[in-house]
Amino acid sequence: MNRASQAKVAVAGVGLRQYKRGGATLPEQGILIRAIIDACEDAGFNPADVDGFVSYGDDKNEPVRLMPDLGTKELRWNSQVWGGGGGGIAAAFGQAAAAIISGQANAVIVFRALAQGNSGRMSAAVMRHHLNDHIMGAGLIAPAQICALRAQRMFEYHQVPHSVTEELVKASYYHGAKNPEASSFGKELDLEAYRTGRWVTEPFRLFDCSRENDGAGALLLVSTEQARDLKKPPITLLGVANGASQGWGDLIENDTDYASAGFKPVADRLWEQTGLQPKDIDVVQLYENFSAQGIASLIDHGFCTYENVAEFVKFENLIADGGKLPVNTSGGNFAQGFIHGIGTPIEAIRVLRGESANNVANAKTCLLAGGPGAPTVSSAIFSVDDR
Amino acid sequence: MKGIGADEAYWQALSAGELKLPQCSACGKTHWPAVWRCGECGSWEHEWKSFEFSGTIFSWARTWHEFGAAKEFGLPYVSVVVEIDNANGRRLLGTIAGNAENIRIGDRVRGEVISVNIEDEVIPALRWHLDDKPSTATKFNSGATL
Ligand SMILES: [Zn+2]
Repeated sequence: MNRASQAKVAVAGVGLRQYKRGGATLPEQGILIRAIIDACEDAGFNPADVDGFVSYGDDKNEPVRLMPDLGTKELRWNSQVWGGGGGGIAAAFGQAAAAIISGQANAVIVFRALAQGNSGRMSAAVMRHHLNDHIMGAGLIAPAQICALRAQRMFEYHQVPHSVTEELVKASYYHGAKNPEASSFGKELDLEAYRTGRWVTEPFRLFDCSRENDGAGALLLVSTEQARDLKKPPITLLGVANGASQGWGDLIENDTDYASAGFKPVADRLWEQTGLQPKDIDVVQLYENFSAQGIASLIDHGFCTYENVAEFVKFENLIADGGKLPVNTSGGNFAQGFIHGIGTPIEAIRVLRGESANNVANAKTCLLAGGPGAPTVSSAIFSVDDR
Repeated sequence: MKGIGADEAYWQALSAGELKLPQCSACGKTHWPAVWRCGECGSWEHEWKSFEFSGTIFSWARTWHEFGAAKEFGLPYVSVVVEIDNANGRRLLGTIAGNAENIRIGDRVRGEVISVNIEDEVIPALRWHLDDKPSTATKFNSGATL
């Protein structure tokens, strides 16, 4: 088993700036600079020494343009994960780790920034990445619709009960209500509003969908050795995997395991890499673009099956502190806010540091399950340093 | 027209009111999306084989929100994934005629070609009918500009 003390790369600092959609006080690049400086200050690290940048989801902020504001001495690594959706979010940490472990860079920022005034609606941008006449000729032009097709298959054919999505959404809002940074702070989910919300695309009603925020998030990665000399305790990257296996991808809805979220091969590799199993995970940050895809992701990662999903995905199991597997302790994309998911790895770090609004006592491992259902998906496991 | 992969012959056939999918000349596999090279056996030769416009509903989703799809669909409309008969389980996308209130996975459907305006371009698309639910949709006009 790959112990955290042997993990070569760690997150040393995090920064998150979130606004209402269309409500950012600065243009996108300005918010991003702020989030990066926040992450460096969190770590006690000189921003001028950051020499690498990685993003995902067609981010528009080319790192070289950040150099004047950050005082960057030398840019040594800049890359982005392929794919228009959140499927690349955990893979971004894999690229950062590859840069550091291979000696091509020393301090790498993983980031995502999005302001509607600059990049337009995220959902539209994600879809533009994938649009073709096959899907447009079927009236499919939004991620919600594609995910709805897969969700319907999961509910109707695989007989996953609808009630599980309500449990997941309820847990997210329970955490969000207690998180002062969350868009739903102070507001628990109104179950009646959830159950009778307007249809977006059946089987999704309004509260089954994550709603976009403006903002930016940044995480600073350095070697675990270097992180031990910085301000905060290191949170190591224990394992990370991404990709797709044969029969999954950009296949105009011909994917083999259609109702899944595409994670099974990625999760298998992650368990193999780390020597861990689902039972070893203390808390999960689950990227949920839509409620059903969050459920499919939990199933793909092996926490439950089509058969026992209703026993596992229960509100009391999903909440901090005391649930068997607390999920989305910040409120997640649903209730904390949705800046293309960048809040989810940031919460992974915070909860393992004990800095979350909803801490999980003695949590040592946190799974980041990335954007589900994308042509390529990715997941990572973070851990406290056990040196 | 923006397709995916090596699918030009699909659009040509559809414009002529026919359904054709590529089958590997060497190993017989029906490929969809269309490929230039068979990833199974390495052959570069494909025949475009004709299929009936018939199949079963693999999944469906009814859209109520105005996302900005082609105006022809109105609101709400039902998008479907259809498993084509005798095509190794290959699936095609389309919409269903009418509101299809009782649609279920596994329902039998038969299809026709309609024309849809997408970003100032007229393209052929598949419109499916649940067996026992007659059509009112207009046939695709193959004389239209494609
Ligand atoms: Zn072949």
